[in-house]
Amino acid sequence: MTRDLDAHAAKIGKQDKIATGILTLIVGLVLALLAAIVVYILFQGLGKMLTPGFLTNSPLDDENPGISFELFDSFYMLLWTLLFSVPISLGAAIFLVEYAPENWVTAAAKTAIETLSSLPSIVVGMFGSLFFVVVCNFHVSILSGALALTMFNIPILVRTIQQALEDVPRSQRDASLAMGLTRWETTTKILLPAAMPAIVTGVVISAGRVFGEAAALIFTSGSAPARLNFASTNFGSPTNPWNIFRPAETMAVHIWKLRMEPSQGNDVIAWGCAAMLMICILLFNVLARVLGKALAKKMTAE
Amino acid sequence: MTNTRDIILTTEDVTVTYGTHEALHPTNLTFAAGEVTALIGPSGCGKSTFLRCLNLMNREIPHCAVGGHINYHGHDINTPKENLYELRKSIGMVFQQPTPFRKSIRENILFAPKRHGRIRSKEQADELVETSLKQAALWDEVKDKLDRSAYALSGGQQQRLCIARTLAMKPDVILYDEPCSALDPLSTMSVEETIRDIASTGICEAIVTHNMEQATRVSDRTAFFYVGDMVETGPTKQIFSNPKDQKLVDYLTGRFG
Ligand SMILES: Nc1ncnc2c1ncn2[C@@H]1O[C@H](COP(=O)(O)OP(=O)(O)OP(=O)(O)O)[C@@H](O)[C@H]1O
Ligand SMILES: [Mg+2]
Repeated sequence: MTRDLDAHAAKIGKQDKIATGILTLIVGLVLALLAAIVVYILFQGLGKMLTPGFLTNSPLDDENPGISFELFDSFYMLLWTLLFSVPISLGAAIFLVEYAPENWVTAAAKTAIETLSSLPSIVVGMFGSLFFVVVCNFHVSILSGALALTMFNIPILVRTIQQALEDVPRSQRDASLAMGLTRWETTTKILLPAAMPAIVTGVVISAGRVFGEAAALIFTSGSAPARLNFASTNFGSPTNPWNIFRPAETMAVHIWKLRMEPSQGNDVIAWGCAAMLMICILLFNVLARVLGKALAKKMTAE
Repeated sequence: MTNTRDIILTTEDVTVTYGTHEALHPTNLTFAAGEVTALIGPSGCGKSTFLRCLNLMNREIPHCAVGGHINYHGHDINTPKENLYELRKSIGMVFQQPTPFRKSIRENILFAPKRHGRIRSKEQADELVETSLKQAALWDEVKDKLDRSAYALSGGQQQRLCIARTLAMKPDVILYDEPCSALDPLSTMSVEETIRDIASTGICEAIVTHNMEQATRVSDRTAFFYVGDMVETGPTKQIFSNPKDQKLVDYLTGRFG
């Protein structure tokens, strides 16, 4: 009897070791691959990126072209995308989780959102160029680009926020309702605060995705380096950086554009731009974790 | 006993159906001020379902329909136009798992009264926090850490905080659904004492429990449920010492559970 058990324990121990070994190997490979990509891009681009003037010079500078306008446009485009997509997604997710009746319409909406989240971004861009640029007559502009990115971002955001809200224990909701709070008060005062760390993390991660998106923008916000004049006070002018009706070129689109017109100089700039883009996105991910953790900590142990 | 006290709640032929399944058959019960009523019976017999009728919590469950009359201070609340949010301010509920909000101890107490616009001054708020916590026998343990997270409390303390939070609403009915099943014996004892103390202030209470000793310790009256039927009800002493229905006898002697 004891012998059997010992043998069994030994067998399980062995299986355990083998499984752990294989999994460690796989994780190690994935990490190595990721590290290789990061190191390679930094190796190719970091030198250029750190060259004085690269981040601050205009792309139209003859002697030492930089990416300052692209850098600005990337963040500015992101800002508008988030301004559009976060409130809409929040509303949609709250509606789906808290208010939508359990029927086929809701089920269809949920399926549609899941399908949309895997829609190729180039298709979103084509739709955007047809709908926002032509039908709505917003022209090739930051507005059209941000709206296309909003379409691209909403499904993912809705799903993350939905998940975050569903993860709040049901008991919290019942406790609040049982104290005579309305559904709306319960949602805004109990559920949203409890889900906030997960929502913030989700929004920042989606911001990273949006930030690096190129395909959806090529037809909607354009690929010509904008000529920006930061001293301009005429908000209707195409050179005014804040004007959302002007075309724009983000870093990701800039890289694509430079690779379409290969030359020694362009390649170097493209790598520098890639390094900068990648660092920004890594920072977004770090930020997402830090913010999420800090918020969660603040809420559970003040 | 009931005759001498004010009747707060009566149910008349209350039924509950989930979709097409009638989980609770017509049930008639009376709840009086200052009394604790224990609802006992095997798992799945409809105790929680019945309890949730009393503060209209079943309305939050899709496909759940409640029939019959529920008279609260003489008027039927089981009507579509009854304002549930108003009603739940005076009929509180405490759940099986402690459910403190992710806020400080103070904010847990003040949250609902604030939302209901009942807090006018800082002094009033402080006083409400103190009296509610004292009533729930928690004040001495937490008075120095009111601004700490409620999650820093033990399970038993969290449950008493939930009771204090309910008391802060100044309800005249409190419903408990197995409030001690997640607690250790010591915490259970203090929650039971709290329930007795609250009854002595004239509040009407109903408690679902699987623990027979608990029912005898805290309740004045007991109602026994069996597969959707309220089979027998009476003073707790009588139910436990002189049960009439054979199913109740079997249940009390542990033949099923
Ligand atoms: N949300 C629901 N939807 C559908 N059926 C339900 C729901 N809640 C309860 N029921 C059904 O109603 C019946 C009574 O359940 P209820 O939870 O009231 O029992 P209970 O006496 O509280 O049991 P326990 O002691 O295990 O808590 C059961 O048959 C259960 O399956
Ligand atoms: Mg139950």
